[in-house]
Amino acid sequence: MDALINKRIKQVLKGDQNAYSDVVSHYQQKLYQVCYRMLGNKHESEDIAQEAFVRAYINLHTFDLNRKFSTWLYRIATNLCIDRIRKKKPDYYLDAQVAGTDGLDMYSQISSSDRLPEEEVQRMELQERIQYEISQLPDKYRTVIVLKYIEELPLQEISEILDMPLGTVKTRIHRGREALRKQLGNL
Amino acid sequence: MNACPKQIGEYMHEYLDGDISREHETELKAHLQSCDDCRQHMQELNSTIAFVKSAAVVSVPLDFKQNVMVRLPKGKSGIGVQR
Repeated sequence: MDALINKRIKQVLKGDQNAYSDVVSHYQQKLYQVCYRMLGNKHESEDIAQEAFVRAYINLHTFDLNRKFSTWLYRIATNLCIDRIRKKKPDYYLDAQVAGTDGLDMYSQISSSDRLPEEEVQRMELQERIQYEISQLPDKYRTVIVLKYIEELPLQEISEILDMPLGTVKTRIHRGREALRKQLGNL
Repeated sequence: MNACPKQIGEYMHEYLDGDISREHETELKAHLQSCDDCRQHMQELNSTIAFVKSAAVVSVPLDFKQNVMVRLPKGKSGIGVQR
């Protein structure tokens, strides 16, 4: 498969834009899935996954054909997802006072507003609950948990995607698993 | 689990990552047989993983590829042009 993808990439680099559609066909499902699990919103995931393909296309000349294309593509997509997640968290107003709360700032609001009441969580359908629990993970744990357990990628590949030492990936997976375990309580 | 050897928690994760040494595995298994708390902890970690893995495949929208192709900069000059 990698040989065919490399062939298509070379065609694209020679100016054949249509050859890129085979590349998109081959990876679109996986890439969309990662974005969806990271962001939890269909519209946004579609936008970000498409953006990842566009960026990969624009920067294709920088791709090293001796490496795995999927690793490179996943890296572009996970970076875009993390940027998007961080932009959604408007932490610049965290220490602003909340009107009518007599000195309470956003820090004191965040933990209570972040997680839904337990009864509500219990009522969720399984699939909805899975997505919710993933979304509750801090982004650095969320990324590794999604790559490991949704995409089922080997730890070595995750380390290449995130450009992070294998040991750091393992630590994050360990902490991510413990964080999820605590969130789930006695499921 | 407070009285348990500190490394047991690490061994659980080594085990889950599939890169535990034979010595650590023997030690972990012996400990789990004698410690209810750690056994439950291990059980919870296994259920947590099973839970995440039961996530359904989310299908990519039908017009996805089409939309990517439309978004590509046109012409050969598009490649390598910094945005």
